[in-house]
Amino acid sequence: MGSIEHIDRVTDLRTWPGEFPVSHLYTMGIAGERFFRELKDNGRFLGSRCAACDHVYLPPSIFCPRCFAALEEWKEVGPQGTVRAVTTAHRGVDGGTLETPETLALIQLDGADDLLAHRIGESEGLEIGATVAPVLKETPEREGSILDVRYFRAV
Amino acid sequence: MDMKGLASDALPGTPLSDEAMQKGKVLTLKWPASLRYEWDTGVAIGRFLRELKNGRIIGRNCHRCQRVLVPPRMFCERCFRPTDAWQFVQDSGSVNTYSVSHLRWDASRVEEPILVAVIEIDGSSHGGLLHYLGDVRPEEIRIGMKVKAVWKPAEEREGSILDIRYFRPFNSAQGGPA
Repeated sequence: MGSIEHIDRVTDLRTWPGEFPVSHLYTMGIAGERFFRELKDNGRFLGSRCAACDHVYLPPSIFCPRCFAALEEWKEVGPQGTVRAVTTAHRGVDGGTLETPETLALIQLDGADDLLAHRIGESEGLEIGATVAPVLKETPEREGSILDVRYFRAV
Repeated sequence: MDMKGLASDALPGTPLSDEAMQKGKVLTLKWPASLRYEWDTGVAIGRFLRELKNGRIIGRNCHRCQRVLVPPRMFCERCFRPTDAWQFVQDSGSVNTYSVSHLRWDASRVEEPILVAVIEIDGSSHGGLLHYLGDVRPEEIRIGMKVKAVWKPAEEREGSILDIRYFRPFNSAQGGPA
């Protein structure tokens, strides 16, 4: 029976580097397309409503995950909303320390039953229950992204 | 939502053409993932790569089943025990299987087909190396064809499987290229 050989010289240690060249092109779907077009073109938030469940989805969905009905009723929500949860991040997505801590919140836009996660700006000591309003990019700068909203701020 | 110019709607769902995405007919989000990794070569492949830099191919012998494994492994999966000894093998072999590829790994087309083969290395008894064939026309390749490694010059070798540029047809009886 052979003995198990080990690497006993550090110089023999070797790794092979590689990279998966993966890039994504993510499409928004029917409801997402409508939501982001409305945000880009008109600076408004669109939800979809299930009358049977009396629920307004935001971001909108084309079907109701509660009763599986197709949803065709579109409803403008917001732009103001209520802070339902808030936190301040001191680390970024890569785990590194942020020079400027970032405040993030879950916001319930007026008329919506779901929560939207976004940044908070210009708002010291924001608490749960506070009313906030979006600060949008100017129309030419908007590109159909959730970052067309720069952040929400206290009103 | 404008669906004109999009793909056929013969199937359920909402088909989108490549054009619709590339030309911005629909909103898209681009996300280039940075997925880098480092793979620990371990004992067996570490030695294998070092020997490639020396211009040699090394395998691993299992004394129980008498096989010589190339590329080397520290464990014999057939006998369920560690392999026993290092063993140098030839840098020649025969084509076990091959493919004439007109597509690159990313599915883009190439003018000159890429010739890839699994080479059973002389002196080994199992497995083989996946590598390129060269100095040969695609229609000349045969399974069982004798081939020999074409090495990079010593100063260019870096302990990589590509220290062998490719394998070329080889007539072992004459000791030279076919």
